[in-house]
Amino acid sequence: MNTTLRPPNPRTLLAIAAASLAVAGCASVPAPTEQMAVSKSAIANAASAGGGEYASIEMRSAQDKMDRANAALAKEDFESARWLAEEAQVDARLAEKKAQSAKARKAALVMNEDLRVLREEINRKSP
Amino acid sequence: MNPKRILPLTLIAAAVLSACSSMPVNNSLLDEARRDYGEAQASPGVATLAAGELRQAGTSLDAANGAFAKGEEKARIDHLAYVAKQQVAIARETAAQKEAELAVASAGRERDAVRLEARTKEARLAQADAANAQRQSEAAMRSADASQRNAEASRLSAQDARMRAAAEGQAARNAMIDAQVARQQSLDAEGRAQQLEAQLRDLEAKKTERGLVITLGDVLFDTNQSQLRSGGVRSVRKLADFFSQYPQRTVMIEGFTDSVGGDSANQQLSERRADSVRTALVGMGVGSERITWRGYGEAYPIAGNDTPAGRQLNRRVEMVVSDESGRAIAPR
Repeated sequence: MNTTLRPPNPRTLLAIAAASLAVAGCASVPAPTEQMAVSKSAIANAASAGGGEYASIEMRSAQDKMDRANAALAKEDFESARWLAEEAQVDARLAEKKAQSAKARKAALVMNEDLRVLREEINRKSP
Repeated sequence: MNPKRILPLTLIAAAVLSACSSMPVNNSLLDEARRDYGEAQASPGVATLAAGELRQAGTSLDAANGAFAKGEEKARIDHLAYVAKQQVAIARETAAQKEAELAVASAGRERDAVRLEARTKEARLAQADAANAQRQSEAAMRSADASQRNAEASRLSAQDARMRAAAEGQAARNAMIDAQVARQQSLDAEGRAQQLEAQLRDLEAKKTERGLVITLGDVLFDTNQSQLRSGGVRSVRKLADFFSQYPQRTVMIEGFTDSVGGDSANQQLSERRADSVRTALVGMGVGSERITWRGYGEAYPIAGNDTPAGRQLNRRVEMVVSDESGRAIAPR
């Protein structure tokens, strides 16, 4: 039995190197599990803050990107999934902030109106 | 070389070169993100109220700029620029929210101040009202005081009876009896008032500002004497009866003469006559503490001293009777 190892053909070496490179390229992007969870919770927070009412465009965009991120994850396109999830997160966060600032502005308007009415009332009462 | 072959070769080379470098001259999304970030940084509200959010956007923008400088693929630069742009928007909304919250807080403080001011004003008005009411009630009490005490007492008991009747309901009959009693008391009071009036009429009393004035004329005294005649004694007895019925009342006895004779003689005569009336009243049981007396000589004539009739009128003793309060009559 011939047990001597022949040095491999240079062509074969090149092919192995190329293949391993391609595999490494794929494997260097891990599944963005944590990012997916963070984005999902950001969307839930935005929805409960009233994002659907006060920032419908950002809300829809966040939801849409999250859907696409899930699809990319299913196809093991981890890089796309991460990017989409990250964008969904900032969209959701913007929607949440927009809802909060709109509510605060509304409260300020109501407060100032109350103050005006109170002043008027007092001025009427005491000449 | 054939120039006809050079052109396609150049084109191919250009295509290969551009594909290789793949470095775009600019990226519109990145430009937008840079512009938004610059604006936000220049806005004092965002820079102070959302400093943390703005810093985060800056870090993302640096990453996008870095990727652009390294000539990374467009999709990655776009992604990083998008994240940076949204984070700038987040910073802007955060600042707007905080500004509005500050406005709410300041309006709240102002509202509290306005309310406090209004309440203080109201309290002052209420105090003034209360003081006014107090004054009015005091005035009402004074005027009520001035009215006849007997009448008031009967009115009060009638009122009492009415209140009891209303409160007890079934004791209505009792209340009616009470009311009758009260009416009877009221009648009694009226009767007493009439009696008093009759007695005073008998004494020929005159109502004046100082009080009831009963005048004992000259004829009730012996000429130039202070001794009371029997007619005078009768008048004084009536007065003594009157005082025994109205133990609260006091009397001021004032003696007067005409202008005939010396001043000191007249003064002494007026004093003696007043004192003689006082002595008679004390003798008939009127407490001496209820009597004050004074002589005025020929002062305060009530008629001319140029005729005998006028002089006779001036020779007199006046008895000024106090009201129920028993307040002593002030001398003239």
